[in-house]
Amino acid sequence: MQSLYRLRSGLTILPSHQQEIDQLLSKLVQQLPARFVLLTDVTGQLISARGEQNKIDLVALGSLVAGDLAASQEISRLIGEHNDYQLVLREGATSNTFICESGSYLAMMVQVSNEVPMGWARMMIQDTAQKLTTILDKKPEKAETVPAEMEKVLQEENLTDLFDSELDSLWS
Amino acid sequence: MFVNWQLRELNLKIVYYGPALSGKTTNLEQIHLKVDPKRRGELISLKTHEDRTLYFDFLQIELGKISGLTPKIHLYTVPGQTYYEASRKIVLRGADGVVFVADSASNRIRANVESWQNLKTHLASFDLSVDTMPAIVQFNKRDLPSAVSTAILKSTLRLTNQPTFEAVAMEGKGVSETLKAIINGVVKQVQQEINK
Repeated sequence: MQSLYRLRSGLTILPSHQQEIDQLLSKLVQQLPARFVLLTDVTGQLISARGEQNKIDLVALGSLVAGDLAASQEISRLIGEHNDYQLVLREGATSNTFICESGSYLAMMVQVSNEVPMGWARMMIQDTAQKLTTILDKKPEKAETVPAEMEKVLQEENLTDLFDSELDSLWS
Repeated sequence: MFVNWQLRELNLKIVYYGPALSGKTTNLEQIHLKVDPKRRGELISLKTHEDRTLYFDFLQIELGKISGLTPKIHLYTVPGQTYYEASRKIVLRGADGVVFVADSASNRIRANVESWQNLKTHLASFDLSVDTMPAIVQFNKRDLPSAVSTAILKSTLRLTNQPTFEAVAMEGKGVSETLKAIINGVVKQVQQEINK
């Protein structure tokens, strides 16, 4: 059986990963300081958010951040200027927004007051992006396994029937 | 696919692909319209001033818990117009399943074939194929007087084993059936991967 740690094309976040990611993002919010940090995978699926979330639609924002970064990556590839941990900056009236890639899997958006020096923000964000990649590269400790009941769910023979039933209940 | 064991979430990405004006956005609009608002997010559309898809449309739907696991389905469309080639490839990245929305109008056969070939080329760049990944073909606009037969559509696209569905997306016909079929295909694929 293939390990559930990382499937063919997908990303698996184990509880230990999530805790480390949350801690790292909280530290960034505190030390930078940042108003808001959002982390998604490169396909736009939300992983974590820290800071002032107010009433932001995090799921929608995640899809746009990933799309924005993907477009920027493609632009930089076409003009031959791609670097690891590349960073996209948007300057606003009261805050600056940075969108940064973190390895092959993650995209991070950081909103910072424009009173924070730009160089400091850039350094802190890129440092966090590098640390995030090492978290996901860590193999889980022996004591940590994929929850047995979750593994069981994905192997259920009638899983598609269960999905069907849930899908039927979606339509009003 | 993205699994978060901490939150007990299974996230899947489905991309609606196809030629310009074939009804990709309409599929998402109908899903947005008909799904209980508590079970779906906002429909995000990046459009031109002429109301054509510029980059993508996005909609998340959330299914009820299945044995403690919450499936979240992320639906994307690509821009169909030929010159948005680069954007289409970007949106396809990380897709777990693809719905190809073909236009049944007789004067759109060539556009369907070109888009289908284009999809295959982009998937190949990610080491994927419509023959091995979950892929559904929806024949949309079946209500058009000029609609060609599904047999002709199948043969011009040279479909192999992809399931097909007839639809009139503007009226919501065939939309939920297509969505169910692609999600089923993706779930089966996930199970196959796990049991390898």
